Parts: sequence; C-alpha cells; structure tokens
Amino acid sequence: MAQDSGGPKAVDKWFDRASPTYRCVVDPTHEISSLFGWVNVPSAAWIDEDGQIVRSNEGVYPAETTVGFGLGKVRMGDDSFAEATRDWIERGADSEHVLSSTELAERLKPVDDDKRLAEATFKLALHFEATGDSERALKHFAAAQELAPDNWNYQRQGWTHKGTTYATLQILRRTSDLRKHTDKSFYDPTGLPGENHRRFTEPEWLWTPAVQRLKRLLRR
Amino acid sequence: MIILANGKTNEVAQRTDADGTLWVRLGELPAATGWQMKPQGACLGELCVPLPESKRGEWIADADDWVWLNYSEFADMIGQKYVRDGDVWSLGSVPAARQVGLECGVAPDFEVTDRNGDTLRLSDLRGHKVVLFTWSSW
Repeated sequence: MAQDSGGPKAVDKWFDRASPTYRCVVDPTHEISSLFGWVNVPSAAWIDEDGQIVRSNEGVYPAETTVGFGLGKVRMGDDSFAEATRDWIERGADSEHVLSSTELAERLKPVDDDKRLAEATFKLALHFEATGDSERALKHFAAAQELAPDNWNYQRQGWTHKGTTYATLQILRRTSDLRKHTDKSFYDPTGLPGENHRRFTEPEWLWTPAVQRLKRLLRR
Repeated sequence: MIILANGKTNEVAQRTDADGTLWVRLGELPAATGWQMKPQGACLGELCVPLPESKRGEWIADADDWVWLNYSEFADMIGQKYVRDGDVWSLGSVPAARQVGLECGVAPDFEVTDRNGDTLRLSDLRGHKVVLFTWSSW
C-alpha cells in the first residue's frame, strides 16, 4: 500500500523497480492508516485467516535500509520484522510474535477528539492539494500537524507539499530534536528480537570512501 | 458542495444554513457519508444509532422538495469530527464504528483498486493470512 498524496505518479517508479508479486495499491488519502490508527510509515499488520489483527506495528522495514544525503547517511530498520513475519506465516497462532489481546488493545487504542479533528483536517488539506489550492492545503496541513503533533504521516506528507528537499531537511531537523531533547523515538519499539534503528536520529556523516581516505590522510 | 468521507469525494446538493449547519439530502446520505436512514435510526453497516425522538422533527426536514438530515447535529451526537472550508466539508472517522471493530481485534474492512485495476476488498481475503504493509516515497 503506497501511501502518498502524489498518487501513482509519485510511487510507480518504486513499484516498477521492485517488481512485486503481491497485490499493490496506491492510497493517496491515507485511508488505511486512518483505519488502523498508524501514524508513520512503513507500518504493517498481520491479519489471520479469520480477519483478526494479530500484530500491528509502525516502522517495520523489510530489511536494514540506508538513505544517503550529501556526505551523510541514515540507517533505518533491520531484518527482525521480516524474520518474525516468516515465523508467523509458518506457525500461525503458535508464533511467539503474535501479540496478546492486551498488547493489541494498547496499539489499537481509541483516538481522542483532537486526533479525530486532525484526521478530518488532514483529509481537507489533501483535497486542496489535489485540486491545486496550495494556500488552503498548507493552512490545513499546518492545522492538522498542530492538532496531532505526534502523527508523523501528517507532518511528513504535509512537508512534501513544499518539495522533497524541504521534507528531507525537516525530517532530519525534527528527528535530531527528538534525539537531543526528548527520550522519544521516531518509531515505537516493536518488541521484536534484534530490532534496531528505532530512533532514526543518528545521521552518520562523512561516510563516502573518498572522504574516509581523506580523513585517514589527515590523521597521518 | 463537496463532502470528503471514508476516502471518497462526493459532490452533493447544497444546503447550508446561515449558522453553518450541514444538511444532507437523505437520498445522498449513503454515498456521501456511509450512513443510511432505516426505521431503527441511522445505520452505518451493522451499527445503528436511533435519532432522539425530541430532535427528530428538527433534524429531519423537508425543503426544496427533498428530505434533509441535519448532519452536523447528528455528527456532534455521535462524536464524529468535521471541518469545513468554503463549500468543502471533511468528515473524520466515526468513533463507534472504528472502536467496535478494533476492540475485538477485527481488521477494519476496506475496498480499494489495485495497480492492475482489480478491486481489492480485505474481507475477500478471509481464509488467507494477510500482511498489510504501508510505505511512501517520502
């Protein structure tokens, strides 16, 4: 499910490059996240044969992923979710990674009035973005972000309205603030063995081979 | 007038009071909001909410040869949030509908069109394990 207000135009190249064998959907109005209460991407749910949710998590990358920017990079995710998913597919309800009803209730908890109003406001912003009314889109993106400051989907999708470079810089700044000034993580812990890079706030700089060689020379 | 609800955009007949009340024609109610008037009240799927007897006369009114529901009063009663800008109304999720399913862990059903143009309804996948995964380009 590609959750992106840019629609197929924004995501097709990624789908094409991955050549997936599974069903693929574009969700420009974030309906799936609204239904499941997710506030960030990537997110995932396991749904069993009876239609019951048995696990729901945000920030579950299929593997460790590295995003480079200039002379820096950020690592995201790990292999733990993919391994756990294989275990669940094989063992079903016997998998140790199936959440208890208490753990699930915590993840699927009801949302308060502000968050419900934020959802309606965010959808209004997406409508104005789609119809080319940038001024009203930005106004409502800002209102939704203020009503639900912990909803990264609203933040990140709203930032893309000012361009991908702006969105990238914003996310680096905001996650850096999280790391320096709070004990919050970008993604909640999944509780899976081997999980890593939850904070998404540790840019690694000066990593290119050329720069590393230069650093070695300077040290001599 | 445009109503945004349940991921859909619907153009409906205009009737907004001077005080900003949203009225929706009963015939347009299901497509625009998901709700449908039945003898037992307003129903969204299997969830039915009776209208208060004392309010029925105020909330359902005839005008311009049509029957209308005062949707903003109804939404206030059920705790559904909405926001308006000009002639566009955006309705948030219905708290009771969302919670009834999630409290017992039932995956909320949805219907979308996949990249091949085929309809994908989550409930059609009963009998299979499903991994639902969202991602984005940002």
